Amino acid sequence: MTEGVARIHVSVPYALREFTRGEDLVDVEAETLAQAIAGLASRYPGLGYRILDDQGRLRRYVNAYVNDDPVSHMDPHDVRLRRGDTVTILPSVAGG
Amino acid sequence: MVAVKKGDTVVAVGTRKGLFLFSSRDRKTWSSKGPYFEGTTIRHALLDPTDGRTVYAGITSEHWGATVARTKDFGGTWKEGKEGPRFSKESGLSVTRIWQLQPGVDRGLYAGVEPAGIFRSEDEGETWTSLEGLNAFPGRDKWDPGNGGLCLHTILPYPKDPKRMLVGISAAGVFATNDRGKSWRMYDAGIRAYGKQEVFEREDLSSCVHKMVRDPRDPAIVYQQNHAGMHRRRRGDPQWQIIEAGLPRSKSTGGTFGFPLAAHPHDAGTVYAVPLVGDYNRVTADGKMAVYRTTDGGKRWQKLTKGLPQKDAWFTVLRDGMRTDGGDPAGVYVGTTTGQLYHSRDEGDSWQLLAEFLPQIQSVEAGIVGGA
Repeated sequence: MTEGVARIHVSVPYALREFTRGEDLVDVEAETLAQAIAGLASRYPGLGYRILDDQGRLRRYVNAYVNDDPVSHMDPHDVRLRRGDTVTILPSVAGG
Repeated sequence: MVAVKKGDTVVAVGTRKGLFLFSSRDRKTWSSKGPYFEGTTIRHALLDPTDGRTVYAGITSEHWGATVARTKDFGGTWKEGKEGPRFSKESGLSVTRIWQLQPGVDRGLYAGVEPAGIFRSEDEGETWTSLEGLNAFPGRDKWDPGNGGLCLHTILPYPKDPKRMLVGISAAGVFATNDRGKSWRMYDAGIRAYGKQEVFEREDLSSCVHKMVRDPRDPAIVYQQNHAGMHRRRRGDPQWQIIEAGLPRSKSTGGTFGFPLAAHPHDAGTVYAVPLVGDYNRVTADGKMAVYRTTDGGKRWQKLTKGLPQKDAWFTVLRDGMRTDGGDPAGVYVGTTTGQLYHSRDEGDSWQLLAEFLPQIQSVEAGIVGGA
């Protein structure tokens, strides 16, 4: 692990586990939410596209939490992470 | 699905909840497989006519974005692009839905998306290039969405010249290019003004195009179902012409209201439409389903109902909900928002139910395996 870069856990929702070969919890090194998603994308090609839109924002119906705190309204670059944090990616309760 | 063989007819049905594939040797007995891409909306899927074997599906997940997948063995295995088309950073836009797929005349694959944009892939949907001439068209910030969203839903390459193409955007209008998409001009003169009997006298007035098809014999002739009526235009004409003799007209728009259009695969001047009550009530009139056919380029339309439900039929046929196959006589396929798939083996003279209880049907495409 690079010194100063936090290892955090990412909880992957059911619909995206086809990318992680069924893994529901993935560890990555990241200091921001944007870095965490980039880490996922680099390990699992295509996964980042499912979470972020063309402008690098969380997709409209994708929610993110750091531990229990909602961060979906924030720019992923501005969401700071600390060692041991758990990032949860969830589809919003929407649709028909 | 029973093994699909050359010469079989394949019908790809995109729905709100996945893709279904139907196949038949004789267009009497059908087998089916699916749904593929469960839970996602397939606004369009097609059998690529250039090889008669590749089926492309435009996948829209409202949560996870929009991608394109392909199969070369009729659903045995699918290969999905890792990413879908993307707008540039400068645009500030983000692709939310794939509305249309269309093979290019010179190979390649086009995708029409929401918010309105067009992209081209040279590798079967793995990677995409933005056609910036349209995607950054001056004034696009003034384009208004239709009821379904601001979508680029029709792509019509010109078979005799790969540099030429028309596209339709709801509700921005028709756009034409003569240089492979580098530059575009609007192409709306002659469209009926909403609720009036006057027509647009300028090309650059936005209209709500619903669907366009090229004439099967003369691709310079284009038919258009517009929000405000049925139209036709031949390249070189000063404007679109209204062609509604024999078609019902809506009380609100003053013209024929509906969404889909389908061209006959072989016969000049033969086109199919499914008019609805109007934009204030987008269902089949009087609870009776009817397909209308012209065989003379729109001089006259004939109502076709034999075998179609004539009571308690209150549904919509969406803009990509009707297509023909390449057969002779031609097969015609119509899918409803209530999940029925009707087909005709005799060019629309009579109809049978091919499937029912499907999810809301978004698109229907038919073709013959390995080419006609």
